[in-house]
Amino acid sequence: MTIGTPLAAPTRPVGRSSRPFGVDWPVVSAVIARDLRAVRRSKAVVVPMMLVPFLLLVVLPLLVGLAARQASSPNGTISFIDSLPAALADPIANLPPDQQLLTLVLGYFLAPLFLIVPLMVSAVLAADAFAGEKERHTMETLLHLPITDRDLFIAKFLTGFLPAVAVSWIGFTAFAIVANGVSWGIVDGLIVPNGLWLVVIFWVAPAVATLGLGIMVRVSARSRTTQEANQLGGAVILPLIFLAVGQATGLLLVDLSVALAIGAAVWVIGLLLVWRGAARFTRDRIAGNP
Amino acid sequence: MSAAIITSGLSRSFDGCVAVDSLDLEVQAGEVLALLGPNGAGKTTTVRLLNGVLTPDSGGATVLGMDPNVDGDEVRRRTGVLTEAAGLDDRLTARENLEFTARMRGFTVAEARLRVDTQLDRFGMQSMAEYRTVGFSTGQKKRLALARSLLHDPEILFLDEPTSGLDPAATRDVTDLIGSLAREHGRTVLLATHFLGEAGRIADRMAVLDHGRLLAIGRPEDLAAELWDGTPAEIDLGEPATDATMSIVGQVEGVAGLEAGATGLTVALHDREAMARVLAALAAAGTSVYGASIRRASMEDVYFALEDSSLQRVAP
Repeated sequence: MTIGTPLAAPTRPVGRSSRPFGVDWPVVSAVIARDLRAVRRSKAVVVPMMLVPFLLLVVLPLLVGLAARQASSPNGTISFIDSLPAALADPIANLPPDQQLLTLVLGYFLAPLFLIVPLMVSAVLAADAFAGEKERHTMETLLHLPITDRDLFIAKFLTGFLPAVAVSWIGFTAFAIVANGVSWGIVDGLIVPNGLWLVVIFWVAPAVATLGLGIMVRVSARSRTTQEANQLGGAVILPLIFLAVGQATGLLLVDLSVALAIGAAVWVIGLLLVWRGAARFTRDRIAGNP
Repeated sequence: MSAAIITSGLSRSFDGCVAVDSLDLEVQAGEVLALLGPNGAGKTTTVRLLNGVLTPDSGGATVLGMDPNVDGDEVRRRTGVLTEAAGLDDRLTARENLEFTARMRGFTVAEARLRVDTQLDRFGMQSMAEYRTVGFSTGQKKRLALARSLLHDPEILFLDEPTSGLDPAATRDVTDLIGSLAREHGRTVLLATHFLGEAGRIADRMAVLDHGRLLAIGRPEDLAAELWDGTPAEIDLGEPATDATMSIVGQVEGVAGLEAGATGLTVALHDREAMARVLAALAAAGTSVYGASIRRASMEDVYFALEDSSLQRVAP
């Protein structure tokens, strides 16, 4: 091996003045690009990330929609709608009886369940981005590179956040096609998007992704492996399951105003967790607690 | 020569366990310093402190005129590190691993490609560029990691166990490379290792750490002079030295001590010139001499002597 003549120094200007919001975006985007490229090649990460949205947003609405189409008597639906709050029940009650079940199930019941998608994707990616780096012994290499602690945290956060939101939105598009397709010919117009779904998609889903990241950042700091982080962080899905069951049984009914309030609460908690995680995300802590 | 690295009272503990204890060190620009010590001696922690990855509990360091605790990013921009684990992402190809680092070091996409191609050529890894590193041998990973650490032509190179896991040929390649970095390109190298052979081949000076404390620092021959009274020399007589021969040699000026061996004797000399006087005395006495050589104390000799003296100091 020979070294030869040393090459020239990098040409990209450095210094805080060239960094919008004080962030070195080329470096941050390099970390994100590398992480996502690596994730795409990891079946253990990609399969659950694709399978769960497919089941929740394509298979489930298809099966539920087909079953609802076959329901001969809407009497049960009508009595259930009577028990709903007026804000949720009125738009459905005003529909013809054969449209009510499809609209209720596809337009309202599945909305909380959909939130599992951004939560799961962000959690899986965060576990890979934080605990996975430790497991693969690549974190030490990263710490020796010229990137600030804050920029590294931003890169890792966005590595989980951006795909979580993207998968959610793409998943919702698929869901919208399935939901409207399966109700075609029975329901006049489109079932989704409706007001509730728009709030869930653009307000609650990003908040839930942030919450998942905030939790997984903390969990990953205490975990040595991705699997350990996923197991510890798996409990974060439980509140959403509760929400979905509550919605389906009528125990906890999510209408537009409740969805807005839940979104706001989740944003506050999620951002708080992320902020605390960022404050603790220092080279010294990471290298000092391998 | 100016100092590239200076530490003063540098200390760091983890959960009450001292990893680096009041370390005073000075490494000149263009020098290769071997940081020696057993596992847990504090070598890796020292590298992390010098590169601003860890914050010292007390004391401080200056690297290229900067405090790594304050200007960590700027220090890391001008240093290269080879960690003990190669730290390659096995899901990426050799090229992708290097291109990522190049981008992190401020190269544009086009520059990064050019630089990576050059490095892959230099390290003889162009044919493996498009393979994922998961299938690479330990030696190949180390070589790639070393290529990565040199992508930006760093002024200081921190090498943490660069040859662990390498076969003898790869070890020789890597040590030759490190040596040429300092000799031909004036780079400063801090070589943290417990492989004494490789350190002895390329390092100008050695620093021995034990339980985070600096036991000694200097050139092996200087440390040897402090450790032992005189330079050892072997004289081959073809048979054990007789009492008469021992007496003759013992009276020669400049002989500090002597010890009989199976085929001759070992003499401790105050200076090299004493060797000529010893040989002349033996010739005058009619004693046959089949060979004579002054044995320079190796880094290994010095290291183990220091370790022994350290053990004696801490023994109850």
